[in-house]
Amino acid sequence: MSDMSSEHVAKIIDFLRNGRKSEDVSLEDVMRLAELMAESFQSFFKTMDLDIYSELGEMAREIANMKEELALLRLSDMRDEHIPTAGRELDAIVEATEEATNTIMSAAEEIMGADAADIEAYQGLVSEKVIDIFQACSFQDITGQRISKVVSTLNALDKRITTLVEKLKILRISDVAGEETAAEKRARELMLNGPQFSGEGVSQDDVDAFF
Amino acid sequence: MALDTSIPVLVVDDYKTMIRIIRNLLKQLGFEDVDEAADGTEALGKMKERRYGLVISDWNMEPMTGYELLKQVRSDSSLSKTPFIMVTAESKTENVIAAKKAGVNNYIVKPFNAPTLKSKIEAVFGD
Repeated sequence: MSDMSSEHVAKIIDFLRNGRKSEDVSLEDVMRLAELMAESFQSFFKTMDLDIYSELGEMAREIANMKEELALLRLSDMRDEHIPTAGRELDAIVEATEEATNTIMSAAEEIMGADAADIEAYQGLVSEKVIDIFQACSFQDITGQRISKVVSTLNALDKRITTLVEKLKILRISDVAGEETAAEKRARELMLNGPQFSGEGVSQDDVDAFF
Repeated sequence: MALDTSIPVLVVDDYKTMIRIIRNLLKQLGFEDVDEAADGTEALGKMKERRYGLVISDWNMEPMTGYELLKQVRSDSSLSKTPFIMVTAESKTENVIAAKKAGVNNYIVKPFNAPTLKSKIEAVFGD
């Protein structure tokens, strides 16, 4: 910057920052400054150790390898196929259980409301409705298979996430706490804990003792 | 003293199946006058229109939960004396304590059976 004073450089920078509104700075000044900056960067790179170039090259290779390994994990398959399929399986389970429940309840209601005065007719109705109930219970077999598929998806997801965490060397991923969402806040404030696992919540006997 | 089964009962649950189950169990116990609501807001509206002899409510509902409904009922002088039973899958100690503190008359943990429902209703009415 031998032929440019520091005041002049400052003036050019102000010119560039302030939307190029100054008549004291010419295009030639700006080009000269750009040239000077390029020269100064060149001298900077010349001072860098060759080892750093080597390190950077190694890092680039590591990144390329990691990309290949991540591709092998087929995470997009999970996102595009396995997880949506698991969602559809769960929806189908809800639908099947609801349908079976309705069938069973309707049969039970018909039995409950039937007139037992005519024994023969009553027995016929009960037999017919009991068959309906048995048939409706077959939902358990199908939902069991669907649940197994969802569990397989969850296991595969778990395996891939674990591998990903290991590859990326994310050691303390559990420590990264996300912000509480509105739904989480509501659930916490209104104690919407949901059903507990066997042995974890209070029993009816415990409640009765409390009351 | 025999249980007065002529009282109107309001069953509050967002699952139609659960309402149907409770309605059938109540029918077996002799209760014929049973209304239903799908959440606390709807229940509160119905309670302001009609005086119920018993409310049986779930906890976890949108937009108004059974717990919020209970607190609203207890804070409204015209409704505050209504017997209120919570029937819920919420079985953490904090839920039971909070409900008791808010003035619930009894608390049934899902899944439950007919004798449990009967005994809790009887307990509420002092039989």
